[in-house]
Amino acid sequence: MTEVVETEGLTKFYGKRRGLEDLDLRIHPGEVFGYLGPNGAGKTTTIRLLLDVIRPTSGRMSVLGADPRDAAVRGRIGYLPGELTLEGRERASDYLAFLGAMRGGVPKGRIEALAERLEADLSVPMGKLSKGNRQKVGLIQAFMHEPEFLILDEPTSGLDPLVQQEFLAMVREVRTSGRTVLMSSHVLAEVQDVADRVGIVRGGRLVAVEDVAALREKAVRRVEFHFDAPVPPEAFENLPGVRDLRVEGPSVRCTLDGRPDALIKAAARFTVVHMASAEPDLEEIFLTYYSDEEGRHARAGVQEPA
Amino acid sequence: MPALVSKSLRDYRRALIGWTIGLCAFLLLYLSVYPSITSDPELYGRAAAAKYPGALKDLMGGLDNFTTGAGYLQVVAYQLFGPLLLIMCAVVLGNRVVAQPEETGTLELTLTLPIDRRRLVLERYAALVLGLLGVMLVTFALVAGMAAANGMGVPLGNIAAAHAGLYLLVLLFGTVTVAVGAATGRKGLALAVTGVWAVGGYVVETLGRDVAAISWLRWLSPFHYYLDGKPLYQGFPFGDYGVLAGVTVLLLLAAMLAFDRRDVGV
Repeated sequence: MTEVVETEGLTKFYGKRRGLEDLDLRIHPGEVFGYLGPNGAGKTTTIRLLLDVIRPTSGRMSVLGADPRDAAVRGRIGYLPGELTLEGRERASDYLAFLGAMRGGVPKGRIEALAERLEADLSVPMGKLSKGNRQKVGLIQAFMHEPEFLILDEPTSGLDPLVQQEFLAMVREVRTSGRTVLMSSHVLAEVQDVADRVGIVRGGRLVAVEDVAALREKAVRRVEFHFDAPVPPEAFENLPGVRDLRVEGPSVRCTLDGRPDALIKAAARFTVVHMASAEPDLEEIFLTYYSDEEGRHARAGVQEPA
Repeated sequence: MPALVSKSLRDYRRALIGWTIGLCAFLLLYLSVYPSITSDPELYGRAAAAKYPGALKDLMGGLDNFTTGAGYLQVVAYQLFGPLLLIMCAVVLGNRVVAQPEETGTLELTLTLPIDRRRLVLERYAALVLGLLGVMLVTFALVAGMAAANGMGVPLGNIAAAHAGLYLLVLLFGTVTVAVGAATGRKGLALAVTGVWAVGGYVVETLGRDVAAISWLRWLSPFHYYLDGKPLYQGFPFGDYGVLAGVTVLLLLAAMLAFDRRDVGV
């Protein structure tokens, strides 16, 4: 099966300034790919190259099996720019109708359905839209023609948490229907719930690509058990994956690396009155996992605020 | 009509309406005082000559027969003020084809639609051509109507010839703006280049009649191909207008090719 995105040595210099260097990236059909990195790392440069808004200095790329220069391929893509500008007195609904017509038509009622889902008001002139509503219009236009490939540059910026959840549901639906998503963000937390794989780009270079499921397997989580009576520490010692064990009377605290199976079975021999398990912070794992020189750079970058 | 052409026309609509109203008000004001000028040609002829001495008079196109219908129409509508205002209008709209939406960022999404870059420029440009045609048709109706009402004695065919020449001239300068904007994405630069060529071209064409040192430059001035054939007196100078149209087409081709080759919005 042809890759949705395939780049080889893709490089972009803006004069002498490096935008992106030697990118080898593959995005498989049907996956959600999270593209992470601090601002200015090269995420937007990559995206704009894939859409033929800017041209590579060197290297090759194909999108949906075609050269991005081929205008027809862009009709099969939905794109949300990182900095979406909408202005003028035109109503958002008229603008969406224009974009739909240019892309060869949108199923009837689709725009209204999406607007309702995201609670967007499309009767407002575009120049008067709030930041959140502007982002919603951007999402509607990216999703409305049911494209094979969605490219979303910082899609969650400006959205309130409820709308963010709705957006993530929309992304999952896209994946369920076998279509592909590339979404960028500067924090892993924003994409970890939907992404199958994540790539980290920094200083114009792709420093890591990791499977999110595999990352979860490596997940370290803090677990706490409280029993109705003091428990013997040796019952929990030397269990696979259990570290930093602290047994104090009826309570057991530890960090768990990987599957919780052995720990649960050990605890099941006593009467459990309370149990707490913190969600694994993938960001932390990701960065511990890449705790080499580049990993430290990535940490500094990833934690940079928007 | 292709979706991008009608969308572009909607983008230009307010500016088009505003400029049309302004131009009509200007023409109406000046053409409505014509009867009082013909009532005392001696006085107004001398007043005009005194107000614009020497080279200034050349800049105004001579003002020889200011008090005749054709002379007055030439000065008010076709010599300096008409072209000046319409070129400003064409520059404002010409910048909306590529440079302005690129600078504000609205071009980004348009560019990612399944449309060829050259076609994008062509369709947004087509809307400019249509929009300016609308402005020209309205102002033509006004000038022709006022000329008839005031009994200015200028044949309708000659007014049509002058107006057609004005349209070609304005379109040419509008296309200069489009071309610089398409090649660089900078509307300030597009405005500067058009302004310098328009002002320089006008000065060279008008003063160059008497100043030998610059008269050889006249062939570089679009105004030469518009004014030299005296369309208001002699009808269509087809050869000259052909030059204006030809240069415009070349500039459009340059705009399309230049835009197709570069990075947008960097």
